[in-house]
Amino acid sequence: MTVWTPTDDGHADLTSHDTFATGAPHNTFKRLRDEDPVSWTDWDQGEGFWSITRHQDITEMNRNFAVFSSARGIRMEDQSYEEYLARRTFQEIDPPEHMLTRIKVAKAFSKPVVAGFEQDLRDLSNQILDVALSETEFDATKVIARQLPMLMLGRILGTPEKDLPWLVEKGDALIANTDPDFTDHVLDKMTTDEFRMMPFNSPAGAELFQYAKELMAHKNATGDTDGVLHLILQPDKEDNVISEEEFRNFFCLLVAAGNDTTRYSIAAGIQAMAHQPELLTQMQQGGDDLWELAPDEIIRWATPALYFRRTLTQDFEAHGRQMKEGDKALFWWSSANRDDAVFDDPFRVDLMRSPNKHMSFGQSGPHVCLGMWLARLEVRVLFQELCKRLKKIEPNGEHKFLRSNFVGGIKELPVRVQLQ
Amino acid sequence: MKATWKLADGSEITADIANGTNMMQAAVDNNVPGVIGECGGCLSCATCHVYVDAPWVGKTGTADDFEDAMLDVAEAERTDASRLSCQIEASDALDGLVLIVPQP
Repeated sequence: MTVWTPTDDGHADLTSHDTFATGAPHNTFKRLRDEDPVSWTDWDQGEGFWSITRHQDITEMNRNFAVFSSARGIRMEDQSYEEYLARRTFQEIDPPEHMLTRIKVAKAFSKPVVAGFEQDLRDLSNQILDVALSETEFDATKVIARQLPMLMLGRILGTPEKDLPWLVEKGDALIANTDPDFTDHVLDKMTTDEFRMMPFNSPAGAELFQYAKELMAHKNATGDTDGVLHLILQPDKEDNVISEEEFRNFFCLLVAAGNDTTRYSIAAGIQAMAHQPELLTQMQQGGDDLWELAPDEIIRWATPALYFRRTLTQDFEAHGRQMKEGDKALFWWSSANRDDAVFDDPFRVDLMRSPNKHMSFGQSGPHVCLGMWLARLEVRVLFQELCKRLKKIEPNGEHKFLRSNFVGGIKELPVRVQLQ
Repeated sequence: MKATWKLADGSEITADIANGTNMMQAAVDNNVPGVIGECGGCLSCATCHVYVDAPWVGKTGTADDFEDAMLDVAEAERTDASRLSCQIEASDALDGLVLIVPQP
């Protein structure tokens, strides 16, 4: 049994957030991969764009950052240069400048450092499951998937525990800024320019800016070295110090990126367990080999970042299409992760899939996810603890997807469980 | 050129590599376990860390500042022979190169 089957007619409007409210339009992606792998879309809200949908093409273009630049924004929406400068993080800066920030923060998110959080994560997971599994019917996104990344993020950032729910709420509004369930300022329905210099065009960005500023001042004043924030405030070898604006944008990036991507990975994994009953048994019987592989398969299945955009710095031809300097190109990770040229039976969750060359972390390029080791660890530990307690898990009604063509996630996941 | 990877389990993989190919890509193309290359050779991940076998250390060049910083991020312990293999390019001068894949 497959977990979920796409229902779009093969010609879905990729510019429409509503398209994605019933799940990513994989019939459309399949058609594009087969017939039009470098496909042009006109857009009434801005400049049109190219969609790159094949795994192999994205792999090659993503590493070619000299042509496919991140330095004009990474979402579909157009930005003026002033907006770009005000809002950019190192996610929107190409190498070699990108590396200046990455080397400051990479150690804190490295596999060996992150491994030190395993026991912490196990304790947090059990704390969450104690509460969640006190009911037999619940929304698994709300009571499980949403909780763990939030609590862990606080430990990583070194923010006070009491601020966490507020931070998560703002992070949600920042990223899911096209879903009215998460923000009062639905981006594509806004009529004001008030927030266009703020991260993600959002008033939540303004509030996070202010919070980050105060937190930085507090940490500076008290010599607080909890978490990783202090690492990026240190001068580098040339005595350069990160600017206030860079720091605040980076902080917003961590809140947004460290929060909902892991949440929707966990949610997608639980969705898969509820629809593919053999997964629970496999997990319960799984040894080290399974747990080495399973997190990546769950994260492939989830693909929380549906696409990232690049902007061409020069003309480039692919599959007979002439892309021009200044054109936008979208790398649809979501499509690459269902490409049957790379993945056998891509709509089946196979916890032992190996090799698993999924692209959920933006693999094959300089912007590969900084938090990938933490994400894998969170997913592994949560599912190890969850499977131990369950005898059965099944859907309890329809799940609902976010209204966003940028973040793919199950925002409501009603399930019914029987415990061991 | 020919290159050999010595694996943690004692086995070896030897392959012909086209000049100009970076040694991370060469390892991935030849299914060398333990050399992953998540970032595609862009110096962003340190998952292609290898130890250059002693006789080859001087011939493979030295790490630049960014590579040097990213070597601190690698999973296995760093030594004087440590390199990110995406930064080593195959050439006739390296024919016979031996790289040791760290124990995970």
